[in-house]
Amino acid sequence: MGNLYIPFKALFQRLNMDFVMPPCNNRHTLSLGVKHSPEGLCIPFKLTLGNLIEAAELGADTLLMPAGNGICRLGYYAKVQERILHDIGYNTNIVQVGVSERKLFGILEIIKRLSNDAPWIKIIPAFRFGLAKLNALDRVEKLVQRVRAVEDIKGTANKLYSEAVKAIDLADDHKSLKRVERDYIGQLNQVSRNDAQPLVVGISGEFYVLLEPFSSLDVETELGKLGVEIRRNTFISEWTKFSWFLNPLGMNEKERIHRAALPYLKRDVGGDGWETVGEKVLHAHEYDGIVHLAPFTCMPEIVAQNIMPSTRESIPMLTILCDEQLGKAGFLTRLEAFVDLLYRKRKLTGKNN
Amino acid sequence: MIRVGIPRALLYYQYYPAWKTFFEELGAEVVVSPPTSQAAVTSGSSRVVADTCLPVKVFLGHILSLVDKVDYIFVPAVRSVKSQVYNCAKFLGLPDMTSAVIPEAPPILDVDIDVNRGKRELYQSIYRLGRHFTWSPLKVRRAGLAAWQSHQNYRELMSSHGLTPPQAIERITGTSPVEPGVSLAEPDSVLGTIALVGHPYLLYDEHITHRLLNRLKQAHYRIVTPEMLAAAELDSGIARIAGKAYWTYEEEVVGAAGHYLQTSVDGIIGIMAFGCGPDSVMMDMVRREAIRKADTSFMSLTLEEHTAEAGLITRLEAFLDMILRKKRSGAAVCV
Repeated sequence: MGNLYIPFKALFQRLNMDFVMPPCNNRHTLSLGVKHSPEGLCIPFKLTLGNLIEAAELGADTLLMPAGNGICRLGYYAKVQERILHDIGYNTNIVQVGVSERKLFGILEIIKRLSNDAPWIKIIPAFRFGLAKLNALDRVEKLVQRVRAVEDIKGTANKLYSEAVKAIDLADDHKSLKRVERDYIGQLNQVSRNDAQPLVVGISGEFYVLLEPFSSLDVETELGKLGVEIRRNTFISEWTKFSWFLNPLGMNEKERIHRAALPYLKRDVGGDGWETVGEKVLHAHEYDGIVHLAPFTCMPEIVAQNIMPSTRESIPMLTILCDEQLGKAGFLTRLEAFVDLLYRKRKLTGKNN
Repeated sequence: MIRVGIPRALLYYQYYPAWKTFFEELGAEVVVSPPTSQAAVTSGSSRVVADTCLPVKVFLGHILSLVDKVDYIFVPAVRSVKSQVYNCAKFLGLPDMTSAVIPEAPPILDVDIDVNRGKRELYQSIYRLGRHFTWSPLKVRRAGLAAWQSHQNYRELMSSHGLTPPQAIERITGTSPVEPGVSLAEPDSVLGTIALVGHPYLLYDEHITHRLLNRLKQAHYRIVTPEMLAAAELDSGIARIAGKAYWTYEEEVVGAAGHYLQTSVDGIIGIMAFGCGPDSVMMDMVRREAIRKADTSFMSLTLEEHTAEAGLITRLEAFLDMILRKKRSGAAVCV
């Protein structure tokens, strides 16, 4: 999912574990996943199944997959996927990483088990290094989201970004990681820009499709090409920070979002449905528009989608359902129409950012 | 007298007798929406985004038919009725979704049912529900206990007498059948036994299933359904296929299928709605198990508002033909 492979790679390398990294999501991954999945499941299931099959093809015998108890189907995916892998002939063992209930120590214990009982003195620094990479990646990405909208030569930021991702992946200690990050942030800041006031569009919706550009046909880059600055509040580094470190201490970053959603949705509906409604309410006066990403058949997002049109806080909103049928041409037409609408609205209301 | 509307959809089939008792004990009159009609499906579908599942669309259609007729509409948010087993997101969002898409609806009575938060929370939320009718906690308590009792009677009636939910409800409430109820009594000559697995709000909604139960009966098949099994049988069925239950009301699908795959039914028809989150996973688990066992034929029917009667009949006929042929030749087939 997104660049999540980089921190894990760093962690496993440091612990001298024998691991394989399946290729990044591509058409082949998707068609493998679609072929073996029940049709009614969402794109995160299909893509992760594709990843698992590709990893198994490369000889992996233990696969990592998030799991847990909850309302969203995700908690059950590991079990179904293990079953599917067995049925198509891979004798692999899936280690379920309980993302919601096990917190930091649960994750560390799983790492300890997988690394053949490496001493804690090796695990902790390796884990910290993985986290450092994760944070560096997200900091660069946040900047890229802004630069894309105003760069003179379209594509410069993206080129720098992919170089930065590679460099961060290659960095092998904290010092070089810091240097790489500083270097690329400097370069991104120096990209020649036009002085247009870009539209500000928030991206909200389901975690996986938000963070995996392949599943949303890289909606952020496409919007960037149309001169739109992206605001997204979901980052893996933020999620890790809160759910592993701060939530156990009683700090909850989502409380503000939940409180905003309260008049319209009184309870958690699993996944990110509550947050989607809350973000709309919270940012209605702040952004020019919101692009809502949801996997097709995602239950919590359907609830959110049904509730959102009735909120008093109104803001132009475009819902894009992501699945294997999402076609680029139709997708771009919809984005262009949406951005045109936002520009016209800005002209009419005279609102300048 | 305060009139409380209950839509004849979703959890109606599980809990109607209990709800009715509860509200009547508190001095309210209970109004149930009429059986599903095409108009209800169309009006319900027009309010929500297209990929909402059929049962929810039908539910909203029922609510629309109650608007103007009642003072309150009862829409519970059932989060969990078993420890660490949760319900589908759409059930949880039901009260909020209803008030968002049907702004003209009368005030909605919602109640959070979540056993994971402990007894105290549960009792408090039931009390909050009762407060709309009375200030006396004792009265609410009495109504709650009576509702529990009538729920037990209802389940008992179904599992011991082999009644379907609509039949049991008729017997309890003493009303004459509003729809030409399907009797699951033995047809004259029995060609075989078919197990239907699926949620009661699909199985027993004659409009959604295009009278599937009647058709099976007319074809001289005996029908068995999840309601005819005892809780222990359902639990062991779940354990066989899925290990531990993950969703509420999963026993209706996985538990029943797991049980009937072991027993000597001739075929199992799994009925699910298009876009149903839990079933899209669970029906597939059932299918995989059926393929592995390979001695009971299995077919899954996915229903939605565009499901055409002719197509459904064709598939049903083909399935029954296959069962007959298999009986003749003794071979095992699975679709």
